[in-house]
Amino acid sequence: MSIEVSGLNKSFGDFVALQDVSVSLPTGQLTALLGPSGGGKSTLLRIIAGLDKADTGSVTIEGTDATHLPAQKRNVGFVFQHYAVFKHMTVAKNVAFGLEIRKRPKAEIAERVDELLRLVHLSQFAHRLPSQLSGGQRQRMALARALAVEPSVLLLDEPFGALDAKVRKELRDWLRRLHDDVHVTTVFVTHDQEEALEVADEIVVINEGRVEQVGTPDQLYDEPANDFVMSFLGEVTHLAGTAVRPHDIDVATAPLLAGAVEGTVSRMLRVGFEVRLTVLTVGGEEVSVVLTRTHARSLGLEVGATVWLTVTAGATVVPAMRPSLAG
Amino acid sequence: MIWFSALVLIPLMAVVVTAIDGGWDVFWSTITSGQTSAAIKLTVFTALGVTVVNVVMGPLIAWVLVRDRFWGKSALEVLIDIPFALPTIVAGLVLLSLYGPDSPLGIDIANQRPAVFLAFLFVTLPFVVRMVQPVLEELELDVEEAAASLGASRFTTFRRIILPSLAPAIAAGAALSFARGVSEYGSLVLLSGNLPFKTEVTSVRILSSIENDNVAAAAAVATVLLVISLTVIVLLDVIQRRVAARG
Amino acid sequence: MADTLTREIDEPVAPAAPALVRRERRTPMTYVLRLVAAAYLFFLVAWPVSLVATNTFDDGLGSIRALLEDPDVVVALQLSAYVAFFSVVINTVFGVGMSLLLVRYEFPGKRVLNALLDLPLSVSPIVVGLSLVLVYGGREGWLGPTFASWGFDVIFSAPGIIMATTFVALPLMIRELVPVLEEIGIEQEQAAESLGASAAQRFWRITLPSIKWGIVYGVVLTLARSLGEFGAVKVVSGNVLGQTRTATLVVEEKYLNFDQQGAYATAFLLAMVSVACIVVVAIIRPKNHA
Repeated sequence: MSIEVSGLNKSFGDFVALQDVSVSLPTGQLTALLGPSGGGKSTLLRIIAGLDKADTGSVTIEGTDATHLPAQKRNVGFVFQHYAVFKHMTVAKNVAFGLEIRKRPKAEIAERVDELLRLVHLSQFAHRLPSQLSGGQRQRMALARALAVEPSVLLLDEPFGALDAKVRKELRDWLRRLHDDVHVTTVFVTHDQEEALEVADEIVVINEGRVEQVGTPDQLYDEPANDFVMSFLGEVTHLAGTAVRPHDIDVATAPLLAGAVEGTVSRMLRVGFEVRLTVLTVGGEEVSVVLTRTHARSLGLEVGATVWLTVTAGATVVPAMRPSLAG
Repeated sequence: MIWFSALVLIPLMAVVVTAIDGGWDVFWSTITSGQTSAAIKLTVFTALGVTVVNVVMGPLIAWVLVRDRFWGKSALEVLIDIPFALPTIVAGLVLLSLYGPDSPLGIDIANQRPAVFLAFLFVTLPFVVRMVQPVLEELELDVEEAAASLGASRFTTFRRIILPSLAPAIAAGAALSFARGVSEYGSLVLLSGNLPFKTEVTSVRILSSIENDNVAAAAAVATVLLVISLTVIVLLDVIQRRVAARG
Repeated sequence: MADTLTREIDEPVAPAAPALVRRERRTPMTYVLRLVAAAYLFFLVAWPVSLVATNTFDDGLGSIRALLEDPDVVVALQLSAYVAFFSVVINTVFGVGMSLLLVRYEFPGKRVLNALLDLPLSVSPIVVGLSLVLVYGGREGWLGPTFASWGFDVIFSAPGIIMATTFVALPLMIRELVPVLEEIGIEQEQAAESLGASAAQRFWRITLPSIKWGIVYGVVLTLARSLGEFGAVKVVSGNVLGQTRTATLVVEEKYLNFDQQGAYATAFLLAMVSVACIVVVAIIRPKNHA
């Protein structure tokens, strides 16, 4: 294990940011810390980096106890949401900074900077100031700067959060490919479940200062530990006391199966190839259902029609313990 | 911290301690004696009057600098800062050259009360302008246009929308210019003649006490000025907090 | 390492300077306001200041030359420069320290300290002088006799003048730096820290270069204020001809002795320096904001 965190507690005044958090992050993998804003994931990342101090608990990086080590001695690379570029230095100087601090020979620095700028496709901007770069370019520069010192772990705090949607998606793919090439242990914080599912090898879901679940994207999606994880990773609706995904509900126009719940279609919305139904059950529940357009047409559904709903066999189901938190 | 205390706080405390050394009665009789109270009154009332002028002219000038565009505007920008940067004694001489005995305008107010007013006006010029200017720059035209689209006349827009946003800046600038006016010394030396009961301001009064080796009296009057400065600073702090709270 | 970015990401680069969209509405009122503002500034500032220049050059360069040949004046100018230099150095070093303290650290009494920092700007220079005399005066001050017994006179000598000047110019540097420090935030320093930079390296390589323009403005403003200080210096200097008389004191003395030419010439020199200072600030400031 590359990073071992155990028993972390951290409060800011009255606000509890982390509550007895223990987690092990494997070497060479790309791990996402996923959770809603204010849930404590950035705090955890900053404590791993040494930028914040935990109240109690310990952090071990590559087998060394780093709990009381200042950030400058941890050999971690950190990428900030708002890039934290050194505004008064050129792109090349930014990337060279960590190497200059380590007093590497000039020729070696120049060679390494050159290599990294090629890696992040900024070679032609080497002598520009960061203010002349776009947001995406600045973040790539920040990444090159963090990688320059060959960190034992790379930490990214909402790295694409400040970029617009299209660039964010492209950089996300790029980060995945970059990681496949460089293989440095990487941890990134995000509140975007799609980003986490797409990029990460492993996801740690954090909410209200606690770890809700740790697992691969498939595990999390297919076997959510609880209602929260399930609802955070995708749309969830409630049918007969269980939480289920809207596309995992079967719709029938007659009471064919035992236990089917009767209801009336109260709204119907066509979005591209899918149809979204809102069904008001006789028990007074509002259930969302998603089915394909062809399926809906074959059933002859329309607003006001009476339908019977069942959970598809083999679908992921979690007892609804808490009110749904996310869409 | 220690450095700040040694340089600023301890000496200022010494003034207050010296002032109350002789007891309350001595302190009171010093500052209410004819010549001194005349000086204090002159200073405070003139500073108040000058502040009123600044409250009118400051936002007006700031408005012209922010919203208007014309040839020579940057020169006006520089003019605003001159009173701040110019040595006060030079400021006095500068005013004397236009409004003194050799005035090309034929206006000679040297050694008269308007001279005090003029000197205060000169040295306090930048305060309101420079406080209001950045606020006015941030004030978005959209807001004014929104008000106009809701049917407000330009005057109503000004009174209901612009003025309330500028009020804290104007108040802060006014407080600063009042404080500066009350404490002014250098520019008056040559211009006002420092005639007792007529054009002698508080700072001059303190200096003459010092020169007569009457340190206790000097400290008493100085304490009055210190209290005024402190009041202004507390006022400024309150205004800034209000603004910060408003976001 | 392989080429991971298969194609250049298509993203617009932030424009160098967003064009200022300004919707102008000109009415007669605009012109009236413009005229009032210009006239006010002309009569209050522009004309009087220009008169000093014309009065100085009434007889060509003669008065300036005469001034520079007067050894007492030369000594006064040197003293002014010497005092201003030390005041700038002291205020720069402590100004940077105090600003960092105010922006980066929380401590009890911070709010009071912050408010009191403005005191030197609003206290009468005469009061400043008096307060320094009371504490550091050689005969009956609180600390003065102690210093005097060590053979170190503060009041009526150069150290006193430097103290008085430093006092009145103290807030200028701090007031320039605090907003700059607040704006740059702490992320760049944290990034440097995560890259292995020590506290000293972070200060010299990140913080200082980021605030250098703030320091330049602060130095210019402090310089202007220090050269021009009059009231406080008058009280603490003793005004000893050729020893503790600064340039501003020369202006007064020359004028009161009916040497108007000399007074105007000295005033002109001082005004030149201060006008140069604000012009320098006016020129570099917008560049930095772009």
